[in-house]
Amino acid sequence: MVTMLKLDELTVAYGDHLALSGITLEVAPGEILAIIGPNGAGKTTLIRAVSGVIPIKSGTVYSDGHDLSALSTSQRARLLAVVPQARPLGGMFTVEQTILMGRTAYMGWLGQPDDDDLDITRLAMQRTKMTHLAERRIAEISGGEQQRALLARALAQTTPILLLDEPTNHLDLRHQMNILSLVRELAIEQNLAVLMAMHDLNLVSFFADRVALFVDAELKTLGTLQEVLTEENITAAYQTPVQVIPHPDSGMPLILPVGDWRQNGR
Amino acid sequence: MLKNHPYISNLTLLGLAFVFSVALGAVYIPPGTLARILANQLPWVDFFQTWPDSSAVIILKVRLPHTVLVTITGAALASSGAAYQGLFRNPLADPYLIGVASGAGLGAVAAMSVHWPTNLLGFYLIPLAAFVGAILTVVLVYNLARVGRMVPLTTLILAGVAVGAFASALTSFLMLRSDQQIHRAISFLLGGSPIAGWNPVLAALPYMVLGMGLLSLSGHKLNVMQFGDEQAKQMGLSVERAKVFIVVTASLTTAVAVSFSGIIGFIGLIVPHLVRIVWGPDYRRLIPLTIFGGGSALLVADMLARILLAPSSLPVGIVTALAGAPFFLWILRRAKKEVFW
Repeated sequence: MVTMLKLDELTVAYGDHLALSGITLEVAPGEILAIIGPNGAGKTTLIRAVSGVIPIKSGTVYSDGHDLSALSTSQRARLLAVVPQARPLGGMFTVEQTILMGRTAYMGWLGQPDDDDLDITRLAMQRTKMTHLAERRIAEISGGEQQRALLARALAQTTPILLLDEPTNHLDLRHQMNILSLVRELAIEQNLAVLMAMHDLNLVSFFADRVALFVDAELKTLGTLQEVLTEENITAAYQTPVQVIPHPDSGMPLILPVGDWRQNGR
Repeated sequence: MLKNHPYISNLTLLGLAFVFSVALGAVYIPPGTLARILANQLPWVDFFQTWPDSSAVIILKVRLPHTVLVTITGAALASSGAAYQGLFRNPLADPYLIGVASGAGLGAVAAMSVHWPTNLLGFYLIPLAAFVGAILTVVLVYNLARVGRMVPLTTLILAGVAVGAFASALTSFLMLRSDQQIHRAISFLLGGSPIAGWNPVLAALPYMVLGMGLLSLSGHKLNVMQFGDEQAKQMGLSVERAKVFIVVTASLTTAVAVSFSGIIGFIGLIVPHLVRIVWGPDYRRLIPLTIFGGGSALLVADMLARILLAPSSLPVGIVTALAGAPFFLWILRRAKKEVFW
């Protein structure tokens, strides 16, 4: 397997508390690896540590063979882009201004965009269907559109690696499908290595290639959907009984809570 | 016109305010005479003198330097206010409200009270002492105000007001026990009556050009920083370096303004907000526009200060506070309702 992103024994601590302990995994170009696990398992910490915004205690993150910690902030931003959870930060900028800021790592000291920067911004807007919203302020558009704008901003960074932090949070079903379909298409079309922290297991099953299950700062299981999304694994990790049935269309695992309170009484 | 040509309209406004400020005063000098006195300063112009010498002295030695000093002071306070707002991601940051101006004043006075050279060199070095005071204050206020990784609206202002009050009290203490000469040299810090003549202008200009020039070039950094430190870093900005750069430049700019014009509040609050409302939030444009707008705004305030109680004149800080405090409350109400600004 060709590796684009590789984590080798990655360990992160907040003070004395271990937030991630000895994580080793790889993501290939064109592949979506989903990070799942209960709240506090370390999903968001992983995204933050890999993107270099929190210090690593030990271990190494490699991108295409380069040790990321040896690179400058702007070199790193040319290898690895992050789609954060949609929040109204920087809400007064227009969609186009926001996406253009994804070109920061390529601009000079003054942040003056050249023709390439403008072209790539335009393409990122087209690809995410944001062109008609270019002049609107981020604060004025819907949550789904904000998430698409942040995806477009990450695309404008033209990196081989894309990290997403729970991209479907706060979105309705249509926008969840919409954003993840787009990520799926982009992964194939641009050969992106995608690492994505997710809560919704059925969306993971729908869109991901492989899954990494995190529990208490450790990587419990890593493998294909069928290997990881089992009744045993999920029940133990989330401490909630589930049953897994095949999706009627794809045959991929579908996770359902067990039981019916109507029959059991209360 | 106003909206589509931000630079032209701001420069026009500044030009008008500048001319009115030079024309305004106890002695009436006709506009034609005024124009000819000014034009005569150009090497290739030579009008025959039809005016008394005193008119030329009033214009060239009193009103013109005063007007230039007011202009660059307003420009400095407004642009550093805009930079602090972007840096702290806080719409209420103003050099006065976050205590930096008072810290700069303390720095200047503290330096002058310990055998500061009284010659011209000493005068030219005052901004450096004020700069040290400003930097120490901003670092202190930032750390007091910080809650985790955020600098909330209210704690920044509370910390700024408290530290500012403390610095002002120390300043007053130093001034009261200092000897007469220093007392005179620094009395402007309380009253805001600027030092007259060209010396303060010449001393301030190099620092101002440097400070405001560098701030004008920091627009993109400030834009990216509006998405928060983490996202800015993920987009490729060296956030820590950018922050230090902007804190240093904005504090230098504020310190120079305070060194020669005293502590004047609210210009750094009002002007960036008005510019933002009309021309949007892009800091690449916002900073240069606040430089022009700040000059115009302080000139207008200064003219009001000279007119309202004529023949005596008010400290300009009183006028800016009269206009600025209600404006502050308005922004506070708006900021409570919206997460962003």
